[in-house]
Amino acid sequence: MARRKFDSKALAKGLFSILVFLVLWEIGSRSKTWITAEAFSGFREALGALGFNKNYLPWVGAIPAPSEVVVAWGKVIVDPGYWQSWWMSGARVGGGFFAAMLVGIPFGLALAVSRTAHGIGFPVFELLRPIPPLAWVPASIIFWPTQELSIAFVTFLGAFYTIVINVVGGARSIDVRYFQAAQSMGSSKADIFRRVILPGTLPSIVVGSAVGMGITWEVVVAAEMISGGGSQSGGTSGGGLGFFIWNSYVGGSYEQIVVGMISIGIAGFISSELLRHFGKYITPWLRLR
Amino acid sequence: MPTQDKQPVSPDILLGILKATMPFQVVSDAMLRRIAAISWKVSYRAGDTLYEAGGPADDLYIVVSGKIDHELAPGVNARRPMKTLGEGDVFGWAALLEKVPNRLAKAVCTEDALVIRINGEELLKTFESDPDAGDVVMSRFATMITRDYTVPDLIAQLRGIHRKLHARDAQGMNVTLYRVSRWLKSPRPYLMLLGLSIFFGCWYLAVEVFKLPRFREMPGITTVVTEWLNPNPVFGLSLYTEEYYKHIAVSVWRVTQAFLLATALGVPLGLFLGWSKGVKDYLFPIFEMLRPIPILAWVPIAIVMFVATESAVIFLTFLASFFATALNTMLGVESIDESYTRAANCLGASKSQVFFHVIVPGALPFVFTGLQISVGVSWFSLVAAEMVSGQYGLGYVINTSYTMVRYPTIIIGMITLGAVGYVTSAMVRVAGDYMMQWRVRELALGAR
Repeated sequence: MARRKFDSKALAKGLFSILVFLVLWEIGSRSKTWITAEAFSGFREALGALGFNKNYLPWVGAIPAPSEVVVAWGKVIVDPGYWQSWWMSGARVGGGFFAAMLVGIPFGLALAVSRTAHGIGFPVFELLRPIPPLAWVPASIIFWPTQELSIAFVTFLGAFYTIVINVVGGARSIDVRYFQAAQSMGSSKADIFRRVILPGTLPSIVVGSAVGMGITWEVVVAAEMISGGGSQSGGTSGGGLGFFIWNSYVGGSYEQIVVGMISIGIAGFISSELLRHFGKYITPWLRLR
Repeated sequence: MPTQDKQPVSPDILLGILKATMPFQVVSDAMLRRIAAISWKVSYRAGDTLYEAGGPADDLYIVVSGKIDHELAPGVNARRPMKTLGEGDVFGWAALLEKVPNRLAKAVCTEDALVIRINGEELLKTFESDPDAGDVVMSRFATMITRDYTVPDLIAQLRGIHRKLHARDAQGMNVTLYRVSRWLKSPRPYLMLLGLSIFFGCWYLAVEVFKLPRFREMPGITTVVTEWLNPNPVFGLSLYTEEYYKHIAVSVWRVTQAFLLATALGVPLGLFLGWSKGVKDYLFPIFEMLRPIPILAWVPIAIVMFVATESAVIFLTFLASFFATALNTMLGVESIDESYTRAANCLGASKSQVFFHVIVPGALPFVFTGLQISVGVSWFSLVAAEMVSGQYGLGYVINTSYTMVRYPTIIIGMITLGAVGYVTSAMVRVAGDYMMQWRVRELALGAR
């Protein structure tokens, strides 16, 4: 895998295809201007006959072109409000995610270790799990005193289920022979927990956290959109990236929507990568495989 | 013909012997007593032939004392045909194989021996009355045939019995009842009840009895249930209103469309991404560039792109499922052992044959994992899409109930959403298990 990263041919191919993608996108979204040419009148009629808007290519024509997005980004990048949105979303994701780890890992371990805890806790957990986190948004707005807390709660839920499921699954999949070996060599229960269960579950905790982090970003965006930013100050600044997107939509600056989308993509990517590297660092024995 | 004196054995002695014998160790005492009832004790002298290859395969033998030479016939393809058996060994398992009416080996007594004989037919009948225990014993026989007698080919015959037992298993109402009664005897249902009652009790007490701060504003459990079961609901939505089912139907229909579209596009894309390095080199970077963008960030752009809100909602629901399906399918193809493809190529398979007979079935387990994730994710994004835009649907119910201060309806919407989502993912799981029975069977035998 490591060698493939420096495969310059694959890199060139990838860059080439991204370039083609961008060019097609540019052409497509600029269709508003070129489609008016005389040569395309038949094409316009065909679009109209299919039920599409005659003035631009379907779908892609409605999206701002990459060049416009870059220009808009250049304007926004010097705006402190934009960076404030990064910070707010990041803080919410971080808060909800760490709360989920803090509650989810001990809860998952308890379910995995004790049969009684599993019997009592798991059915309730399974009862609540199919409800999508976003369906909790209104209920959590009613319940929590500030909007900030309600967004954090929904974010927490998004990561919590994944982390718990992964911890339980990871502990369950530990080879029984490890327990038997530890027991026959006279380990105490605490030793087994510390030396067998914990390191055995760590890889799944890492995987669960990485997946949970992705979901957290999804949820935070939605929660910010639905609850209207979560900031009392309002305006373009201070509401997080989800609100940045929503606000750009309401304000009609479509280029900024795409800027926001890409920013969230980058933010999510960075946080997952950080988590993955940290995971590799704390599970050094997996590197040998 | 060997000299033999066939005599019944006292059940208690037999119980001890059976308990010490490998395949019967885990069987319950009651069942062992029934097996004891169909067993005989027989003694042989050194030089006696117990049976010849080709003779009728009727009984199963357990050595109590003495030595028996067991030689599998050349046609059986055993890796080590010769074996000397001593105390506690089991042989004559041809009696338990399907489609093998005759002995596969020759058994000769080399040292005065005492053996227990159990009739194979009777034994199988005993197992059928308790398929759970029977299964365990049969799978131990499977282990024995591969490991001790080194004839893995014959597993197929035993597997037939496995399936036969399973088929009966599914038909028998008795078995279901038996499972239920065993489940009721375990602590699980009571713990479950305890857990659920703690949960609902806390809800009830916190909201309606003690009226704790913050909980006071939440709808209580009795309010929700009475509203839900009310023919004339206060807030306009209950089990008796037509609208309730309309919302469910709209949501389900949207998810179905998005899911089918995502499967139809995502599975082929994933297969090609995993199969061809060229396709992957070109397309995967774009895929990976778009994937980290949360689906919800697409909401405004989807509204701009599609004139109709309905198609925007479906597009958003589709997008999440599509990424999950395509990615899992690709991982599935990459997980296939390369030696399968090489073997197929060596045997002269064409590219399309490799694709349809190696790649597609090999990726299937991952595809179904992907589809399960995809259903869950599609409900997730459907709710968001419906909350932000769109009319009808369960997400819409939850959101409008909030803005119109119909709090119990929010909870009804949430519960319904959870139930419907659970049913749909269970359907996908069942479909997956059904289509991949070969894999389920492989996993069941994987323990050997």
